[in-house]
Amino acid sequence: MAGLSLQHIWKKYPNGYEAVKDFNLEIDDKEFVIFVGPSGCGKSTTLRMIAGLEDISSGTLKIGDRVVNDVESKDRDIAMVFQNYALYPHMTVYDNMAFALMLKKTPKDEIDKAVKEAARILELEKVLDRRPSQLSGGQRQRVAMGRAIVRNPQVFLMDEPLSNLDAKLRVQMRAEIAKLHDRLGATIIYVTHDQTEAMTLGTRIVVMKDGIVQQVASPTVLYNKPDNIFVAGFIGSPQMNFINARFDGNDLIAGGTSFEIPTEKVDVLREKGYTGKTVIMGVRPENVYDAKAESLCKLTAPFDAKITVFELLGSEVQLYFDFAGASMSAKVGQSSRASVGDVMSFAFDTDKIHVFDKETEQAIIH
Amino acid sequence: MANESIIAREKFNWPVTILLLLGLFTVLFPLYMTVIIAFKQPSEMTNDVISLLSFPESWSLENFREAMRVTDFWRSLFNSFLITAVTMVCAIVIHSLMGYAVARNMNTSKFYRFSYFYVVSGMFVPFAILMMPLVKQTAQLHIDNMFGVIVLYVVFYMPMNVLLYAGYLKNIPIALEEAAHVDGASTWVTYWKIIFPLMWPMHATVAVLTALGTWNDVMTPLVIMSGSGVNTLPLAQLNFQTQFGTNYNLAFASYLLALLPMLIFYLVAQKQIINGVINGAVK
Repeated sequence: MAGLSLQHIWKKYPNGYEAVKDFNLEIDDKEFVIFVGPSGCGKSTTLRMIAGLEDISSGTLKIGDRVVNDVESKDRDIAMVFQNYALYPHMTVYDNMAFALMLKKTPKDEIDKAVKEAARILELEKVLDRRPSQLSGGQRQRVAMGRAIVRNPQVFLMDEPLSNLDAKLRVQMRAEIAKLHDRLGATIIYVTHDQTEAMTLGTRIVVMKDGIVQQVASPTVLYNKPDNIFVAGFIGSPQMNFINARFDGNDLIAGGTSFEIPTEKVDVLREKGYTGKTVIMGVRPENVYDAKAESLCKLTAPFDAKITVFELLGSEVQLYFDFAGASMSAKVGQSSRASVGDVMSFAFDTDKIHVFDKETEQAIIH
Repeated sequence: MANESIIAREKFNWPVTILLLLGLFTVLFPLYMTVIIAFKQPSEMTNDVISLLSFPESWSLENFREAMRVTDFWRSLFNSFLITAVTMVCAIVIHSLMGYAVARNMNTSKFYRFSYFYVVSGMFVPFAILMMPLVKQTAQLHIDNMFGVIVLYVVFYMPMNVLLYAGYLKNIPIALEEAAHVDGASTWVTYWKIIFPLMWPMHATVAVLTALGTWNDVMTPLVIMSGSGVNTLPLAQLNFQTQFGTNYNLAFASYLLALLPMLIFYLVAQKQIINGVINGAVK
């Protein structure tokens, strides 16, 4: 296994479109790094550049200590799991998994050992002589993983490997991949647009938008301290609530309500000259409380809002309402008696209010 | 009641049934005529319609024996087989490689796009226009023999086969090639280990179309190999046509004999051909 270094990587197509702009990232050995972002953000293109399937327009890519910009993918010692698995339909599961080793002219007994070991790990022993068309979606996905495992490569690349599976199988395979990472101690780069996958699997997450890296951080940091509005909105479901608010030097005022924030945050806003200016206040749905219910945290002043949508999710309830010209959501306990059309009193956890600059959309305080 | 009438209408869809029967007739009638004429004696060939359509007086294989003698059957069969087999193998190897190169590059390279249209446009050039220059050129190059005929066939079938292969390759996901590259395969290895086996249905289609064309072709060997003393089956069958008339009984017996190898080949490759046609047509 090895680490990777991506320095000032650009991808520019002949028509002038820039898919990836100045991508910089150091990936340590055995890290599980997730590239996440909406469609067209350049995450798959970056992965394909690492795989050698796309040329790098400029910048330096190192795998271990070796610069691999001009090295063909077959010589990069990487393995890739494709979104549609890309299993060779005319070969059996065994041959699919053994293909890379056969090309390396590995002795047959070693191939056999490696394939059977991978099949054992992935519980594919009984289907080794079947063709991909005779397998279920989950089995195909595991064969694609197995094909990567047998090679024992320096880096595993996974391009949305779970997106073709149904919801239940996806959760199951997600756990399998996490276990596999622990077991193999492999360096994995994983592309997804599913933030749940990103949050549960990654040791570090790279959030991308329009070819630009927005933030690189651990899942916890990304969730609790997003660098900008895009990251704050992208990570978390339902997404963070954003309201325009005016900072009057002490409180944030929105929709006629004054929201108190901790003194140290007030100081930062004052120091940075936001007094009298409009900022964007961000609050996650789980930090919006029923003002009348008991709460362990310090709440802001309450405000009333009419519930427009009520969603029972089993263990909790999601309420949607409009406030200060924005559509907002709150996650409340299952015991909530609210229903559509009711006017309810809400309040925010003062410690969990994020403030963003309205112009630059960068975070000011978390 | 309503259901019954629907079923009844579906059972007796007269227009379609009549069309199918007509189609069946147009296929079976010439075949029937070929078979019975092949077994008849020249004396049974009268102008009377009834006797022409009737079975032969005796089912003798004499015509077949005589046809085989006149056409030097085994030698002609061998020549036809050799030309057809070599053309077929060359077509599958060369045209599939070309189709692969063109299909995978024509979206990004003007050269390949031009090559594709240039090659495919060859389909619209009639053989009659090319015939005389080709006769002269093959003679000058001293390839007015079986080798020359094979070379010409490989070129003649290139447009259609490249068109078929290029179309079929669009259905083979590029991710398979990318997976093979990542697995450590060069483009050459990827082609032979992954792409070539996946094109089996199209290979079968190309094989049958090419083989049928070359097996039945009279014109090319006639103009290129005339005077060389080497006959293919269709060339040998020209012996039955003389300036005084045609011996239909021997000719038809010979046609039946020539038909058999192709029929067997078609039956063997039939499943793959249908797959090839469907895969090529439906994305």
